Amino acid sequence: MYHGKFTAPHPDGSSHALDPFLQREIKLAKNIQSTLLNGEVPTFNGGEVSGSSLPARLIGGDYYDFYPLVNGKMRIVIGDVMGKGIPAAMLMILTRGAFRSASESTKGPGDTLRAMNQALFKDLRALGSFVTLFCADWDPKHYMLTYANAGHNMPLHISGSTGNIQTLSKVKGALVGGIPNLVYTEEQMHLDKGDMVFFYTDGIVEAQNTEQEQFKLERLIQILQENKDKSAEELQESVLSSIHTFTEGLPQKDDITMVTLKITSDNSDITSLNSPVI
Amino acid sequence: MSLMINKKVDDQTMTLYLKGIVDITTTAQLNPYLEEITDQLKALIFDFTEVEFMDSTGIGSILNAIYLAQEMEFKVIFKGVNELVDQVFDTVGIYQILETVQREEI
Repeated sequence: MYHGKFTAPHPDGSSHALDPFLQREIKLAKNIQSTLLNGEVPTFNGGEVSGSSLPARLIGGDYYDFYPLVNGKMRIVIGDVMGKGIPAAMLMILTRGAFRSASESTKGPGDTLRAMNQALFKDLRALGSFVTLFCADWDPKHYMLTYANAGHNMPLHISGSTGNIQTLSKVKGALVGGIPNLVYTEEQMHLDKGDMVFFYTDGIVEAQNTEQEQFKLERLIQILQENKDKSAEELQESVLSSIHTFTEGLPQKDDITMVTLKITSDNSDITSLNSPVI
Repeated sequence: MSLMINKKVDDQTMTLYLKGIVDITTTAQLNPYLEEITDQLKALIFDFTEVEFMDSTGIGSILNAIYLAQEMEFKVIFKGVNELVDQVFDTVGIYQILETVQREEI
């Protein structure tokens, strides 16, 4: 089963002094981003995926998406546009379009990142911006996760049998928008029943408390360890709750986004999908 | 939290010593230093020894310096890359971009 959620924590923000028309337009922009992030979610037998994003401001530059493929695989992407707020959000929408378009015409996550870099490079370079992206294909028939990386932090694998948590085997690739004609290599990993993969953006590990101490990867791993038996959505709620407790109500500095893939049974066919060309 | 930038110019080399936080609130401080670069410059050295944190906007500023170097044909050199900065640069692929851009110049 899929869960998609996008919430804005600071609806009043700092917009009190803004022109009413500008306030209205920002609210509309927030609604557009929220709607696009919470598109139709496919059915997923034998496992579940959940995604959530919490912008630091009214709207943000983090991005996640699921794109089921007609070959039975599901393409997952998580990304982080440089900067924050409205400028980052505009480029996030551009990134979403590039991902969906590339997913229709590319055969794997590495090829998808290559196509996205080609499509976005000139615009991002002209704007002095970039996007980090991690893209993965989940193959429910063979229990294989194939992935490629464009400058993003590596996701975590939580073993259902041992409870061990470690980063996926590293695969390198430069951020999208840096140099043209990049080729992104792919890695593969076999997942077992009960395994989870946790994709995230750096807003989680870089969240700061009142003593300017960061949440860090060690705390994230501890929270995942303590909540590994929960559903994908509940796990993410636990992560968010721990960050809120840790930061003691301080304003969020960066967008926080996570995607969780959890394998719950031996039958994980994807049954309700978008219809890409290949 | 702040960013302090000290500049040292030696012959045709400019060294920028960065100290503190290179993020969305501070990184604009780098712009005046980049704007004063002329085509006489042969190398721009960033010294990251005392950088405590760098966010995506900070990375963007370093990238823009690399692109400026490509355009104006000077070298960008990283020095004092501490563990934190190294991890960030390695993850996002800054080293790969710098190497590619400077190889193309040759």
